[in-house]
Amino acid sequence: MKSKLLKHEPDFYILISTIMLVFIGVIMVYSASSPKALQEFGDPLFFFKRQIVWAALGLFIMIILMNIDYHIWKKHATAIYIITIILGLLIFTPLGMELKGARRWINLGFTTFMPSDAIKLGSIIFYAAFLENKKDKVSKLKDGLIPAFILIGISTGLVYLQKDLSTSITVAGTMLSMYFIAGMPYYVLIASAGLTAILFKVAVYSEGNEYRLDRIKSFRDPFADKLGDGYQIVQSLYALGSGGLFGVGLGKSKQKFFYIPEAYNDFIFSIIGEELGLVGTTFILSLYVIIIFRAFHVARNSNDKFALFLASGIASLIAIQSLMNIAVVTSSIPPTGINLPFVSSGGTSLIFYLASIGILLNISRYTKTDGSKKNEHNS
Amino acid sequence: MRRPTRTNFVRLKIAILIVSLVVFFLFYRLVKIQIVEANDLKKQALRQWTKSVEIEPSRGIIYDRNGRKLAINSPSYTVWAYVSEIENPEEVAKKISPIIEEPEEELVDLIKNGTNMKKLKQSINREKAEEIKNLNIDGISITEGNKRYYPLNNFAPYIIGFTDVDNNGQYGVEKAFDSYLKGSPGLLIKSTDAANRQLPYDGEIIIEPQNGYNLFLTIDENIQRFAEEAASKALIDNKAKSVNIIVMDPMTGEILALANKPDYDPNSPREPIDEKARAEWSNLSEEELQNEWFKLWRNYSINDLYEPGSTFKIITAAAAIEEGVVNKNTHFYCDGFYKSIPGVTLRCAKWYDPHGDQDLYEAFANSCNIAFINMANSVGKEKMFEYIKAFGFGELTGIDLPGEQKGIIPKRLEDISDVNLATMSYGHSVAVTPIQMINAISAVANGGNLMTPRIVKAITDDDGNLVKDYKPEIRRQVISESTSKTILEMLEKTVTEGTGTKSFIPGYRVGGKTGTAEKVIDGKYVSGKYISSFGGVAPVDDPRIAILVIVDEPTGIYYGGTVAGPYAKMVIENTLEYLSVPKEITDEEKSEDIETVTMPDLVGLTLVDATKILKEMGLRFVIDYEEISETSKVVEQKPLAGEEIEINSLVDLYFEKEN
Repeated sequence: MKSKLLKHEPDFYILISTIMLVFIGVIMVYSASSPKALQEFGDPLFFFKRQIVWAALGLFIMIILMNIDYHIWKKHATAIYIITIILGLLIFTPLGMELKGARRWINLGFTTFMPSDAIKLGSIIFYAAFLENKKDKVSKLKDGLIPAFILIGISTGLVYLQKDLSTSITVAGTMLSMYFIAGMPYYVLIASAGLTAILFKVAVYSEGNEYRLDRIKSFRDPFADKLGDGYQIVQSLYALGSGGLFGVGLGKSKQKFFYIPEAYNDFIFSIIGEELGLVGTTFILSLYVIIIFRAFHVARNSNDKFALFLASGIASLIAIQSLMNIAVVTSSIPPTGINLPFVSSGGTSLIFYLASIGILLNISRYTKTDGSKKNEHNS
Repeated sequence: MRRPTRTNFVRLKIAILIVSLVVFFLFYRLVKIQIVEANDLKKQALRQWTKSVEIEPSRGIIYDRNGRKLAINSPSYTVWAYVSEIENPEEVAKKISPIIEEPEEELVDLIKNGTNMKKLKQSINREKAEEIKNLNIDGISITEGNKRYYPLNNFAPYIIGFTDVDNNGQYGVEKAFDSYLKGSPGLLIKSTDAANRQLPYDGEIIIEPQNGYNLFLTIDENIQRFAEEAASKALIDNKAKSVNIIVMDPMTGEILALANKPDYDPNSPREPIDEKARAEWSNLSEEELQNEWFKLWRNYSINDLYEPGSTFKIITAAAAIEEGVVNKNTHFYCDGFYKSIPGVTLRCAKWYDPHGDQDLYEAFANSCNIAFINMANSVGKEKMFEYIKAFGFGELTGIDLPGEQKGIIPKRLEDISDVNLATMSYGHSVAVTPIQMINAISAVANGGNLMTPRIVKAITDDDGNLVKDYKPEIRRQVISESTSKTILEMLEKTVTEGTGTKSFIPGYRVGGKTGTAEKVIDGKYVSGKYISSFGGVAPVDDPRIAILVIVDEPTGIYYGGTVAGPYAKMVIENTLEYLSVPKEITDEEKSEDIETVTMPDLVGLTLVDATKILKEMGLRFVIDYEEISETSKVVEQKPLAGEEIEINSLVDLYFEKEN
C-alpha cells in the first residue's frame, strides 16, 4: 500500500488528562506520604522528590514515544514479548527481590523494577500483533481461539507466579478484552465466564490461599473485623466518608497519619477523597473516563487493525486497573492490592503507564479525523 | 496493513458500554460513601482520631474551724500502657516491674488483656516516675495526678478518715462528704495518629475539671491536740485498751475535738502505728490483719456502744427535777441496800458504809445508787422512758459521720421491769454511744436543748465562696433552763466535794460526773473488765465546753474519777486557757491554809479497817463498785503510802476480787 498516512496533532484530551493525573498524583503523593516520610526518613519530601523525578522521566519517555511511529512495535513485537518474559523470570534469579512476603521486584542496584508492569505493556503489544496476524481466523477454534488463550495463559501465569493475583487479573482481563474486540466468538465469553469462576474458586479455596477467603469475608462486612482483615477497608471508608462533598482540605487528612498503611500507594484514592471530597474523587474518575473513552475513540478511528488492538488494549489496561483500584477502596469488590495508574507512588508503574500513553498518542496522530476523511474522499 | 472490520467496531461499542456501567456503579458507590453514609463514617473516624483522657479534679481541702489544713493534695503519678503500641509486653514488664514493684506476670496480663489505655500502677512518687520516663519505653506513659496527704499524720483520723488510691473517701468526713469533696473530672480531648501521637493540627480541647468543695470542720486544731495528748497519756497511764475523748461546744452542738487512742495514720492506714502494733500484727494472717484494720478504723465515739454507768445519773436527776418529784430540799436515806422489789436486793456502791441521810446535791455528789432508784421510782417508768428517749438515747444523733449506732434502750414501755427501771437509774442495762452521752450532757449544760452534733461548720467552693453553712440545730428542748442550772450546780458539787474531785481546777468552775461499769460483752457482764468514764461541763456558770472521757479496760484502778477524771481536767484546763476564759481564784481558795497528812499504807487491810483509818485522818475515799465484801482486802492504793496529801482529798482503793 502506497498511501502515506496523514500525520496530525495527537489527541489533546488524552494528553491533558494524563498530565493532570500525573500532576495531581505528585501533589497527593506528597500529601499522603509526608507523615511516613518524616517518620522513616526524617524528610517529609522524601517520596515527593522521588515521584517528581519519576514523573519527569515518565513524561519525557511519553513525549519520545509519542513521536515514534507505532508500526515499529509491530515489527519488533516478538522480540519485545520475549524480553518481557525474560524480565518476568529474572525475579527467580538472585536479582529478584522479596518485599513483604512477595517476590515481585528486580534489584537494578540504583532502583528496583517491577517486571509485571513491563509484562502488561509487552503482552499488549505482542497480542495486538498476534491478533492482527490471525486475520479472519481469529474466531476459529484451532488457529485463533487456542493460541489466543495460550498467550493469555503465558502472560497471566508469569504474573501469577509472583503471587500477584490482582495484576494477573489485570493482565488476563486486558488481553481478554483485546481478543473480544478482535472478534472472539460469543460462546467463548460464556465459557470464559465459567473458567473465571473455576479459577476464582481455585485461587480462593485452594490450600495455602486461605487469606484470600478471609479477604472476601471481610469485603462482605469489613466492620465485623475492623481491627483485623477489615482494617484497611474500614480505614479507607473512614477517609472517604470524612471527606464528604468538599473534603477536609488539601493536606489535612488525618487518615494518612498511619491509620491507612502506605496511604500514598494503593489507598491514595481514599486520601484524595478525604482531602478533596466527592468533588475530588469525581474529578479523578472523570479524568480516567476521558482517557479511556478517548483511547477507544482512537482505536475506533485507527487505520489498521494493529493500531486498533493496541489502542484498545491500552484503554482496557487503564480501565481495568484504575476502576479496580477505585472499586477496592470503595469496598465495591473484595480487597486486593493494586495501585492507581498515574497517581500512586511507584516509579516503574508510572513510567510504563506514561509509555503506554506515549504509544497511544502516537496512534492518535494517524487517526481518521473529520478532515482526513474529507481528504480521502477528495483523493 | 489490515483494515478494521465491522465486528471490531461493534465490539468496541460493547467495551465502552461495559466501562460506562462500571463507572456509573463506582460513582454511585462514591456518592453513597461520601454523601449518604458520610456522617456515620465521620463519627466513627472521629472516635478513632480523638483520645480523651480524664483530668482529675483536685479534691477539696479539709480545714479545721480556724482554717488550719488537715487534709491536702500532693502530686502523685500514674503509669499507663498504650496497649496497641507495645510490641513486646514481656520485655516492657521486665523493665518496669522492679520500679513499680508489681510482679512481671501481672503486668504482662494487664497489657495483653487491655484495650487502648491500661492503668498499670497508681500513686508512685516523682523519683520513680522520672525513672520510668527516662527508660523511654514506647507505649508507656506517665500522668500526673493528686494523692491525698494529711500533713498532721495521726491527727484526728477518726474525724477526717482517709481515701483509697482512687481518691474515694473511705472513712470519716472523707466518706460522709465525699460527694462534696471529690468534684467532677474534666476531659482532655486530643487528635492523635494511629500510634496515639498528637496530630499536628486540631489542637487539644480541654474541659476543665470541677474541683471539689472545701470542708471547714468544727474541730479546733488546738483543742483536738489537747484531747489527743490527754487520750495518749490516759492510754499509757492506765494501760487501757482504748481511750476516747470528745469535746463539744454545748451551746451549738459543734464537736471541738474527738480523739480515739490507739489510732492510725490516714496517710498509711494499713501500716501499724507503733512498734507494739507492728509486733502484734506481724504474726497475723491476711484475714486477721483485715479484721484488725477494720477494728482500728472504727470510730469508737459513734460506732461502738458502752454501758454509761453513773454518768447516766445526770439523766435520771434531770428527769426527776424537771418533773418536780424532787427538789433541793428532798432528802434521801441510804442504808446500803434497796430491797423493795421482791426477790431482788440492789446494793449501793457504798453499802458497807452507807450514805445515811443526804439531800439531793449530796446524793448526786455521792453518786448514791439508792437515792437514784428512789428518784426513778418517783418519776415513774413512763416518764423515765420518755426522758431517756428525749435525751436522744436509742436514736441517731444525726452527726455527719458514717456508721452511727442507735444504742440499746428498752423497745417498749412494757419491756421495762421494776428491776430495769432501778438499774437504768444508775446507767446499767442501757447501752449508748459516746456521742449520744456527750450530746445529752450538752443538752443539760446549755439550758435544756438537745442539739444535732456538728462536725462540719461550712462548705466552700474552689474560689472560697460559701456553698453551705451548718447552723446550730436545736432538735428539741428536753428540760427547762432552771433544771439545767440545778444540775450544773450538782455537777460542780460533785467535782468540788464528791467523786469528781480529781477533775477540780482551781480558778475554773468545773462540773462533772464519773462513771464506772463492768463491760458487757455478748450480752453478759464480764467481771474484771471495766469502762470508766467522766462527763463534764466547764465553766458551769457559762458552759463553753462539754467533755466526755471514756477509758476502756483500764488495768488496775478503774474508778472513773481516777482513771478518766484527771485527763478530763487536763483537757478542760488547757482548753479554757486557750479560749481565754479568765481564772477566778476565790479568796477562800487563796487564803485557805491547806493542812496535809502523810498517806498511810493500807495494802493488806480489810475494807472496814482501811476506810476507818482514812476517816480518822480526815481523808475521803471512793469505791465506785459493789462487788466487794467487808472482808475484801486492799491490793492497791492511790496515792501511794508516804505521799503528802491534802486533808479531805480523795483516796482510791483497789480490792482483791471476791470469789
